[in-house]
Amino acid sequence: MNNPNNPIFPYLPHDIPLPLPTGGMDAIIVPVFHILLVVSFLVHIIFINVLLGSSVLSVINNWIGHLKNDKNYDKVAYLLTTPVTISENMGALWGVAPLLIVSVMYTAFFYSASVMNSPQWLHIIWGNVVAFLISYLYKFSWHKLENHKALHITIGAIAAILFLSLPPVFMSTVQLYITPSTWTPNTHFWDVVSRPDVLFRLAHFYLGAFAVNGMFMLLYGVYKKSKGQDLEAANILIRQGKAWFLVPTVLNLFVGTLTFFQFPNYGIENFYSKGFEVFIIIAVISILGAIAILLKEFFNDNISPKHAYLAAGLLLVTLISMGITRHGMRISLLEPAIAQMQKQTQEYLAAVEKDYKEAKTKPVGISVAEAANLSEGEKLIAKNGCTACHAVDTKIVGPAFKDVAKKGYTPDRIVKLIYQPEPSNWPGYTPMPPMTNVPKDEAEKIAKWITELK
Amino acid sequence: MFDYPIFEMPVLGHRLIFAIDAILHVLISHGAAVGGSIVLALTQWYAIKTNDQKLYDLTYKILFVLFIAATAIGALTGIGIWIHANIIDPPAIGSLLRVFFWKWFTEWIVFNVELIFLLAWFLTWKTYGWEKRTQNLKFGIVYAVASWLTMVIITAILGFMLTPGNWLKSDFPAQPDYIASLFNPSWIPSLMFRTFFAIGFAAAISMYWTWWFTRNDLTLREKAERWFGRIVLATIPITIIFGLWYYAQIPQEAKSLMFVAGLTTKYIGHKEMLIIALLGAFALILVAIFAFYLKPKAVPFALASLMMVSYVFLVAEFERIREFVRKPYIIYGYMYAHGIRKFDVAHLNSVGVLKYASFVPQQYRTITEENKVKVGEYLFKLECRVCHSVNGVNAITKKVKGLDENAIYHRIGALNSPATPFMPPFVGTDEERKALAAYLATLVEQKQTQTAVNK
Repeated sequence: MNNPNNPIFPYLPHDIPLPLPTGGMDAIIVPVFHILLVVSFLVHIIFINVLLGSSVLSVINNWIGHLKNDKNYDKVAYLLTTPVTISENMGALWGVAPLLIVSVMYTAFFYSASVMNSPQWLHIIWGNVVAFLISYLYKFSWHKLENHKALHITIGAIAAILFLSLPPVFMSTVQLYITPSTWTPNTHFWDVVSRPDVLFRLAHFYLGAFAVNGMFMLLYGVYKKSKGQDLEAANILIRQGKAWFLVPTVLNLFVGTLTFFQFPNYGIENFYSKGFEVFIIIAVISILGAIAILLKEFFNDNISPKHAYLAAGLLLVTLISMGITRHGMRISLLEPAIAQMQKQTQEYLAAVEKDYKEAKTKPVGISVAEAANLSEGEKLIAKNGCTACHAVDTKIVGPAFKDVAKKGYTPDRIVKLIYQPEPSNWPGYTPMPPMTNVPKDEAEKIAKWITELK
Repeated sequence: MFDYPIFEMPVLGHRLIFAIDAILHVLISHGAAVGGSIVLALTQWYAIKTNDQKLYDLTYKILFVLFIAATAIGALTGIGIWIHANIIDPPAIGSLLRVFFWKWFTEWIVFNVELIFLLAWFLTWKTYGWEKRTQNLKFGIVYAVASWLTMVIITAILGFMLTPGNWLKSDFPAQPDYIASLFNPSWIPSLMFRTFFAIGFAAAISMYWTWWFTRNDLTLREKAERWFGRIVLATIPITIIFGLWYYAQIPQEAKSLMFVAGLTTKYIGHKEMLIIALLGAFALILVAIFAFYLKPKAVPFALASLMMVSYVFLVAEFERIREFVRKPYIIYGYMYAHGIRKFDVAHLNSVGVLKYASFVPQQYRTITEENKVKVGEYLFKLECRVCHSVNGVNAITKKVKGLDENAIYHRIGALNSPATPFMPPFVGTDEERKALAAYLATLVEQKQTQTAVNK
């Protein structure tokens, strides 16, 4: 409800009036929720990073192969379609778990943001369906369209662009739900997606996606090489992988810092007070380590697998730390809003309980005093719902009972018409549904009462 | 609903976009995933047993189609049901999650197994080839079991929404009984009904694609069509038996809404139309299956296609009826379709919904003579838009056509009456009811001026 006394969160709905599904063991289960949320989100985002990066790089390599007429680039492009298929499926699947946990822990916040971001929020379903189908077309038409490269590359590019169009919708919804202080009755997608906090986060995310995919390509190349398969393609994967990891990662050191300071002040203060900045420091130190290793091996196509795995391990430490940092910021931003929401929910439920119990003790429907003045016919038409559409004297939805009486039907005919109305008798009126719910004896009394109206 | 932000879906309305997603999902989850996995794993086994490499290759071709449908459309529209629900009726889906979180979470784990084994089954089919066929079949079997288990859990939630049983241990504070909500009366019969329906449906889909893939090999067609035909014919009586058991569990009030649900209020006077349509579709399916079974080489493509269309019609009609008979509730006996709990009504009738409507601008929360119509518009958006659009599908303008403000006011007061038992009651003060009537009356006027101008 609107709360003018709280200047930070003037607009907040109520919480769902059912307990969190912890079986009363909040102290044990709530931490499990937090851990599940961070872990499942990390798995999800790694798959999504590979999906975005690989779908773009498959198209780029396909194109390079076509321009240079080099089969090795074509091979790299085709190899990259398998991680796309796997990570689009696994990415969507692992996105469900965080969605589930966020929806149960932060219900009102997440759902409010989703509604404000609609209809664009629906793009994550329908845009995704189309992107999936086109990416399958790209993959499964590879050999059939070998001599129509321009068409084939266009198909791949459309799929990649569609996949790239999904993060702005996600990012704006996520940023919106953790910043309820920015909500107004008119907030909608285009306001949100053009906000600096969303734009910086989005840039940070895209860079991160290409960096993670760079690391994936490097590992893929190293793996192919160790198996002695497709050696030239493996070299391309290794070279491109290093470059795609290093450039976005270095840029992200700056973009990430700027992103952090886009959050509302009360959130940043709360974040520090909880000590979450430690995880930022861990993230930065380990990513600098990964950068150093790959810079040293930058021109070495025969990079030792050990160094590659070490760099990947350091990146993983960074990702875990960033995942915790991200969750820490969510907690810091939402904590005061949750407190206010719980307070207003309790007040609301207390008022609801009082009125519900009072109403239960009152007689249902017409009050005793009113009933004393009604004829039996009037009681029956009220009881059976006829008064929804008919009044005694005036036209409402259907004709007035007095107008029905003027038609001069016999009581038997009226009973029949109650059970099987003939809309043709009353042109221009909304047709009446058959009122088979009226008991026979009551229908007869009502019919008699109508014929006696004057 | 009343205290969430407002999103209006113009023209199509919320109900229709939800139905498109949900029916698409049911067609694929039943036909391609649950039924498809069982039927194709069986067929693969049959091909191995009869040492028939051609049938083995045909199975892969059908799996290819089902794989694309299940992963690209089925899985995403499944998540889509949830995404659509969260913008249409946040309190409803929020409540379901609080009650069913751990079952949903379990389903998600099973879903992981399902998808991983589907990917393994499909992606290794060609690389394993005929030599490692039994190994590949194992992936298919695990996929089939896992995809059926996801149906086990989801039908519990679907059953709960219609037949929740005694799931609330206490009303204040609301305390759900998780066991009672899971073992709600329609869970097992609806699960078995859907299982056998899905197997029959998937076998029919396979018959259709077999026709397509065996244009140059009529011997293979004969064998495959007979095999799939046997599966469909075996499932039909079992589906009917479980269907009757399922029907017996449905509340009497819901049963009485079945014809409105199947036909819409406009055609309710012609009940025979629904019966003819349903029996007609069923008869057409039987004719096609028998034709395929007896003379596989002679069945025309048109008949195969008509069989598919009939199946799609039956699924769509079943889902429409199931969704509709729950009205006026979204969770039976607990929460109305517009997201207001039955417990909330007394309080909101005395103080009004606008008091708590967080996302209605402050100046429209007190009704004056000047802002009355605008406030009415907000009230329409709060309580009616879940089912009614202004001018599009299930348009409110058609419902109030020809009525004056006073008549509309009366009608609003008796929405949940025996005449329209599927409508939730209007919730709010008398003043709010008048404001809504005033707004709806302006829609009638607009319509009249428009027709006048057009003439």
